[in-house]
Amino acid sequence: MTRRTVLAGSAGLAAGGIASLPFLLPKYDKVRRPGRSRVAILPANSYSQNLEKLLMEGLRPFNLDVRGKRVLLKPNLVDYIPGAEINTHPSLVVAAAECFRRLGALEVLVGEGPGHQRDTELVLMESGFADQLREHRIPFVDLNRHELIKTKLRATYTGLDHLWLPRAVIEADFVVSMPKVKTHHWAGVTLSMKNMFGVVPGSRYGWPKNILHWRGIQQSIVDICATAPIHFVIADAIVAMEGNGPLAGTPRPLNRIILADDPVAADATCARLMGFIPERIPHIAETAKFLGNASLRLIDQLAQPVTVADPPFRVVPEFQYLSAR
Amino acid sequence: MRIESDVPYRFQNMLLECDTPTGGWSFYPQDTQAHLEPTCLSLLALHSRAEPRVVRGLEFLLHTQNPNGSWPAFAGDDQEGCWVTALAVLTLNQLHADSNAIDRGIGWLLDSRGKESHWLWKWKFRTSDTHVRFDPDKFGWPWMPETNSWVVPTSFAVLALSQRFPLERPSRVQFRIARGVEMLLDRVCPDSGWNAGNGVAYGVPLAPHLDATAIALLALRGQAQNSTVTKSLTWLAGRSLSCSAASSLAWSILALHSHQQTMTCQIQRLADLVKTAQICDHATMATIAMALECAVGKNPFEVQS
Repeated sequence: MTRRTVLAGSAGLAAGGIASLPFLLPKYDKVRRPGRSRVAILPANSYSQNLEKLLMEGLRPFNLDVRGKRVLLKPNLVDYIPGAEINTHPSLVVAAAECFRRLGALEVLVGEGPGHQRDTELVLMESGFADQLREHRIPFVDLNRHELIKTKLRATYTGLDHLWLPRAVIEADFVVSMPKVKTHHWAGVTLSMKNMFGVVPGSRYGWPKNILHWRGIQQSIVDICATAPIHFVIADAIVAMEGNGPLAGTPRPLNRIILADDPVAADATCARLMGFIPERIPHIAETAKFLGNASLRLIDQLAQPVTVADPPFRVVPEFQYLSAR
Repeated sequence: MRIESDVPYRFQNMLLECDTPTGGWSFYPQDTQAHLEPTCLSLLALHSRAEPRVVRGLEFLLHTQNPNGSWPAFAGDDQEGCWVTALAVLTLNQLHADSNAIDRGIGWLLDSRGKESHWLWKWKFRTSDTHVRFDPDKFGWPWMPETNSWVVPTSFAVLALSQRFPLERPSRVQFRIARGVEMLLDRVCPDSGWNAGNGVAYGVPLAPHLDATAIALLALRGQAQNSTVTKSLTWLAGRSLSCSAASSLAWSILALHSHQQTMTCQIQRLADLVKTAQICDHATMATIAMALECAVGKNPFEVQS
């Protein structure tokens, strides 16, 4: 081997290293994964039972300190389709609001920016939210039309530098993602992290927020959740959805509410309950690298144990591989 | 019709009282960030009022135009431009404002198109990505650059171009209006009416939305004989009779009026609704004011057919 060959080989290796550097560097600003995460699976057979009492007992082991804080509850309020279980149930949202008030929150708001339906008031009225929120004097913020703040993304999976996000989200002290547990024909599942698509404002990005689809749904979920923190999760799996979700699937009762102090752990647990392998869901696998815990070893399971749905939730053919079978 | 004659003026007066540091309208009274959608709708609702507030709003609209001729979604936004450009052009045209600003806005609109119109994406949507039923040859306008065509931005762009060029249309304008109309007719829901974009996804028919249907019908005024349009008008007229949300009901009235349909019951329903409803969204207030003025024959979204 000549000196020239060694030099040429070294130069080639260096060039290769430089070229592949962007692919090797992490796409997130820093690892924020907690040492351990806690998830509670609460049994709940219907929306008519005393959900406030159930939630209050379920929340106790988490020792949440929301005293004096502004709490934003972010339900999944997509649209209204008569007879279809597509939204987080308003009774659960109201129960959560009452619990956080009892825990000393300064203010509890409900905020959502529906993805397809421009008339948010119509969705609120027809889904039953408007009456319930009014009765319990819970303010609602239309995240599609709120004041916007330029927010640099803390991950770069989409290649976007920043998003304009609602002031109500950015300035909230404590954000609670309250998804409806559903399958999703583009994303596989829609859980606490996919639910955060609703914080991206329609007035800026449209109905739907199509830029997120073009930049990759899985990538967008990771970037949004890396940037707009979810402090707690209350997932509605009393009646979940399988098949062609998020709008045209079929109801599947799971009879559970999932609470978690880590959205990645929450979504991994929900995926297991649906009969899926969470590591096969790209946004869960990716966020488990830096944002939260998906591994069972790192999750303290409270209340009920995880039981895998049998049979697994039905999905569209593209996502058959999610199933544990 | 039993609506009190001062009701539209009540909403106009509420809009006149709203102000932001920049001169535009925010969505909500407590917000200071002026957005283009409520600003354009407020100016359209107030265009017959010779008030300093209207002049200030118009100045805001002209000052926020981006260097590329488009408009941002709100004051301080990035300058790439978005769907409100069509609404801004339509508003300036109605207010007989600076034609240079309108021409620059039209230039941007004519260059803007849904991403599915590119040959590569056409090929993708025809071969591998076939879950959503649509013909990518029939394209319109996106909400923002680098995304697909959708019903509402396409409708506003068709309206803006049709109003600006009522008779003599340059070939490029004619081409884009024709494509936009084709796109709207292609994306209709299977029974009638329009959802946000497509009528069928994953083999499942999507349900029509009132406001998207109403805005699409405003743009399709020139297609009054088309069976898709007549069926959608019938759906809109029926569905709006049970609508309790002011914005959707108001858009429905504007569309029914534009197509010279009976809308007496809808106007009465809206007039009754606004007596008790707490409406604080300026875009909705403006749409209500315009809808109630349909009772006296005024409709800024009318297009010569």
